Amino acid sequence: MVNSAFAAETQQAPAQAAPVSAPKQAPAPQDVLVRMHKELQAALKRSQAERRWVMVIDLRRCIGCHACTVACISENKLPPGVVYRPVTIKEVGVYPKVSMEFLPRPCMQCDEPPCTEVCPVHATYKNSDGIVVVDYDQCIGCRACIAACPYGARTFDFGHNYLEGTPKGMEFLLSQEKANAYENKVNIEYGKRRERNGHASPVGNVRKCHFCLHRLEAGILPACTTTCIGRATYFGDANDKGSLVHELIARADVVQLKKELGTRPRVYYIY
Amino acid sequence: MNKSIAYTVGVIALLIGLYGFFDRLVYGEAHAAYGSFVVWGLWVAAYFFLGGIAVGCFLWGSLDLLFGLETFKGMGKTALWAALVTLVAGLMAIGFDLGHMERIWKAYIQVNFHSGVAEDVWAYTLFGIFTLIALYQSCSGSKPAKVILILGLIVALFVAGAPGKLMGVNAGRMYWHAGLLPVQFLIFALTTGAAMLMVIFGLFGASDKAARSFPVLTKATAGLLFVNLYMLWAYYSEGLTGNMPSVAEPIRMVMQEHAVLFWLVQVAVGLLIPLVVLSQSRTAANPALVGVMGLCVLLGNLVSRYFILVPAQQIDLLEGLSSAFHGRGYTLAYTPSMTEWAVFLGLIGIVILGLLIGADYLHPLCQCKSQKEA
Repeated sequence: MVNSAFAAETQQAPAQAAPVSAPKQAPAPQDVLVRMHKELQAALKRSQAERRWVMVIDLRRCIGCHACTVACISENKLPPGVVYRPVTIKEVGVYPKVSMEFLPRPCMQCDEPPCTEVCPVHATYKNSDGIVVVDYDQCIGCRACIAACPYGARTFDFGHNYLEGTPKGMEFLLSQEKANAYENKVNIEYGKRRERNGHASPVGNVRKCHFCLHRLEAGILPACTTTCIGRATYFGDANDKGSLVHELIARADVVQLKKELGTRPRVYYIY
Repeated sequence: MNKSIAYTVGVIALLIGLYGFFDRLVYGEAHAAYGSFVVWGLWVAAYFFLGGIAVGCFLWGSLDLLFGLETFKGMGKTALWAALVTLVAGLMAIGFDLGHMERIWKAYIQVNFHSGVAEDVWAYTLFGIFTLIALYQSCSGSKPAKVILILGLIVALFVAGAPGKLMGVNAGRMYWHAGLLPVQFLIFALTTGAAMLMVIFGLFGASDKAARSFPVLTKATAGLLFVNLYMLWAYYSEGLTGNMPSVAEPIRMVMQEHAVLFWLVQVAVGLLIPLVVLSQSRTAANPALVGVMGLCVLLGNLVSRYFILVPAQQIDLLEGLSSAFHGRGYTLAYTPSMTEWAVFLGLIGIVILGLLIGADYLHPLCQCKSQKEA
C-alpha cells in the first residue's frame, strides 16, 4: 500500500526544528524515491550474491502516462520496435461507470527464466545480481528467447531508426543528420559504450529490460522508477529486511504475472 | 520439355533471389517485415519446409540403400542428392534469418546443449555430413557404408521432429505447446520427401529402375496425406472445442482471415486433391500427374508450416500488449516483404537448379533420365 509507504517515510524522516514563534507544522513527507535511493546505496555495499533486486508496481497509483516507457527508451536509446517497458491499457466497466486499468510490463527478471535455457550460445543468462542479461557480443540473433518469453518482454533490434524514409534536408537547416542526433547517441547498456553503426551490436540482437543495470552500478535507480510521476514503481533489494520492497511484497494483495507457469518473477504488482 | 521449363523457372527464381541475397547481406534484416512480436516468418518456415524435405528424402532413400527393399531399388542416390540440395537451401534460409550469421561458429564452440536451436545446429550438421559421405560412396561405385546410413537415419529421425520441439518447448505459447508437434513434423518430413521424389521422377522422368518404386511411393504418400489430414483435424478441432484463446484464436485466424490460403491451398490443393488422385491406381500411374501432385503436396505443406509458425506469434501474450505502444514494427501484423519473398524464391531456384544439374550433369549421380534421354 503506497499510503502506508508514505506514512512510513514520514515517520522515518528526521524531525525538523521549527522556530519558536512559528505555528507547529507537520514535517514534510519525504519522497519515496529518497528512501529507495538510500536503500540502493546500502544494497550496493553488500555483495551481489546477497542482493535480490525486486520491482513492485502499484497499479492503483499508475495513471497510464507512459513516462516510464519513454524514459526507458531515452535511457537505453531504443530504436523503433524495441520497447522494454510498455504500459498496457484496459477499459473496464460500462459507460458511465468506466475506469481504466494500466499495467506497466518490464522484464520480470524471472528466477526460473524460460528464455535463458533456449539460447544456443549462452548469450542470455541470470547475472550474479539475478538480473537476466543479454551479452550483445555473444548473441547470434536467432530469437528463440523471444519465442520462449511468456511475457513478451523481449524484442529484436532489426536496425531501424526513427528517421528512416524522411527527407535528408539541408545541412545548415534541420537536416536529417542533425535531427538524428538522438539515435546516434552512444548506448551504455551493461556498462559498455556502443555506437549505433551498421550491423554492429546491438543491431541484430535481442534486447530487453535489465532494470537499468548500468544505472544501478552507478548507484542510481532505474529510469522508469525515477520518472514515475505517480510514484507507482518501487525498486530495491528484497533481501534487505528494512527495505520498502521487502515490506511491500509481504502484502497479501501482491500478485505476480502468470505465476502458474512457475517462472518466479521478480516483478510484483499491487492491485 | 519439362526440364526446359524447370530450368527457366529455376533461373528466373535464382535471379530474383540474387536481389534478395544482396539486400539481406547489405541491409541486414531491416527490410524484412518482422516486428516486435512476429520475429519468425517466411524464412524460418522455409527452413522447416526445406529441412523437412531433406530429411524425408533421406528416409525414403534409406529404404533402398540401407534396407535394400527391392521396390525402392534405384532411387537411393537421387533421394540423397535431393536431400543434400534441399538441406543446403534450408540452412541458407535459417542463416539469412539470424541477426548475426557470422557468429554461427559460437553454436559449435560455445554451445548450450539444452537449447533446441543448438540441437538443431548440431543435428543438421551431422545429418549433412552423413548425407554427403553416403552420397559420395554411392557415386564412387561402392555401396554406402552401413554405419553411415544407420547414423544418418538416427540423426534424420531426430532432425525430422526437431522443429516441432523447437516450438513446442515454449510453454507460454499454447498453440505450439503440444506434445504431438514433433510427431507432426516427422509426418510432414516423410510426406514432403515422398512428394519431392514424385516431382523428380514424375516431371523429370525416372529411369526404368527407379520407376518401379512409383506405385508404392504414390500409395504411401496417399496414406501419409490421410495421416496429415487426421492430425490437422485432431489439432484444430481440439483447439476450437477447448476454446482457450491462446489456442483457438490462432486457429480461427488461419481458418477465417487466411481462408483462401488455408481451405484452398493447404486443404484442397495440398491435401484432398492429391489424396484422391494418388489413391486411385489409374491416375497414380500417370507420371506427369503424379509429379504435379507432388508439387501440390509441397505447396500445401509449405503453407501448413507457415500456419503453425506465424499465427502463434500474432496473439497477445498479455491483454492489450500489442496496443500498449505505437510505432514502427510494434504490431502483430505480418506479411512477408519483397526481400523475404525474393530470398525465398532464390532458395527455391537453388533447389530446382540443383536437382536439374544433378540429373543432367552429374549423371549417373541422379537416376533420372538426363536431358538428352528425356
